[in-house]
Amino acid sequence: MKRALSLAAALALVLSLTACGAPKKAETSLFAMDTYMTLVAYGDGADEALTESARAINELEQLLSRTREDSDVWRINHGGGKVSSETVQLLARALAFSDETGGAFDITVAPLVDLWAINSDHPHVPSQAEIDALLPLVGSEHVSFGARESAAPGSYDVAYVDEGCAIDLGGIAKGYASDAVKEIFAAHGVKSGTVSLGGNVYVCGMRPDGKPWNVAVQDPQGDGYACILSLSDTFVVTSGGYQRFFTAEDGTVYQHIIDPATGAPARSDLLSVTVICPDGTRADAYSTALYVMGEEAAVGFWRLQQDDPFEAVLITADGRLVCTPGLTDHFTKQEGASYEIQFLSR
Amino acid sequence: MRSNSSPAKTRPTPWDALVVAAVVLLGALTALLFYGPKAHADAPLTCVVSVGGQVADAAPLASFSGEHTYSHNGYTLTVFVHDGQVEVLHSDCPGQDCVRSGAISRAGQSLVCLPAQVVIHLEGAVDGPDVIVG
Repeated sequence: MKRALSLAAALALVLSLTACGAPKKAETSLFAMDTYMTLVAYGDGADEALTESARAINELEQLLSRTREDSDVWRINHGGGKVSSETVQLLARALAFSDETGGAFDITVAPLVDLWAINSDHPHVPSQAEIDALLPLVGSEHVSFGARESAAPGSYDVAYVDEGCAIDLGGIAKGYASDAVKEIFAAHGVKSGTVSLGGNVYVCGMRPDGKPWNVAVQDPQGDGYACILSLSDTFVVTSGGYQRFFTAEDGTVYQHIIDPATGAPARSDLLSVTVICPDGTRADAYSTALYVMGEEAAVGFWRLQQDDPFEAVLITADGRLVCTPGLTDHFTKQEGASYEIQFLSR
Repeated sequence: MRSNSSPAKTRPTPWDALVVAAVVLLGALTALLFYGPKAHADAPLTCVVSVGGQVADAAPLASFSGEHTYSHNGYTLTVFVHDGQVEVLHSDCPGQDCVRSGAISRAGQSLVCLPAQVVIHLEGAVDGPDVIVG
């Protein structure tokens, strides 16, 4: 009898350990912010975290969309006015990134994005005169925001742009959304999960088996992966011109990222830029900026960020995969990818 | 503290060893179940097609060859499955990102048509990445 009881108790113990070893998994997907998003979370709070994350993403889209007529960004681009403090905070960050990157990242490039219309039904190659006419509208100096006193006690936030100018927060909105998801995961006790908002990824904690997440960097020249990065608790954002582009009648390929300095699609010697850092908004802005800069300036920019370093993978048009040294222990070369691997030094 | 006056009763018996062995075996099996590999290396790829958020097709890639047509939101896509890969052959959506994305052939990869809200996803093989960025 004692042996039977011992065996039953042991079985109960093993089964209880089983429950500990299999955290609850929840996943959801949604179309938002002009991309397809998938979110996976593990743990008791996973369902609630995903529900709240999806709601937060949709709310942010409503605030930050350039095309929705009830959004803050629409209001800013059409005469300006009262906006949420969240929008103003993001505007401030966007302008700071523009300043940091010497204008390589610039939210005021929107009129030129419209001119080229590369993501639309009717992309076209504008004349240099058309481009020159809009270039003066590009620049952070055209954006104003701040608090305004209301008739009632208190104040509210306003933002506007100079006449003819426009902003597009699409270059950092998904990064900002991924930061918001990180906070929601933490609030619900989620310690393991992955968030993929188009080219913006957040890996939360470790995998349920205790290992880092394997993040594959898409090969811009094929259907495979350029490399695998083993990462935890960080953001990974890729920018490149290899998925959204159009081919003109003369055969010239124009990718969708506009260089604010020239008003034309960036003629980068990079195929893609992947930035890894613990700030999703920053990673989003930097990935675009480094792509526009090109390899030499991007590496120079990376070297200057000594106080707040980030990691990056640059895939060059001449067949090299350039990594920052902090990725050395996290990097796995992919079989089949023919890139020459180079690690930078500080 | 007093020593036990009948040591013969506390001596392990073969039955006790059997209980210990069973517990150890169950523990090992449990660990293997939850921390071991989740699939075999030769596990076949499954092609899952979602249209407007609903799964429209889910089939082993090997038995899903040929052209498949999906319509949603006023757009129509022709998906071509051949030689272990999937591509969007034609779409009347603006942008054509889904067509330009080329072919996919590995677990974890997806083709997405945003205007039509069609997602083609490959899943099933072991050792694939957890998430893809790009």
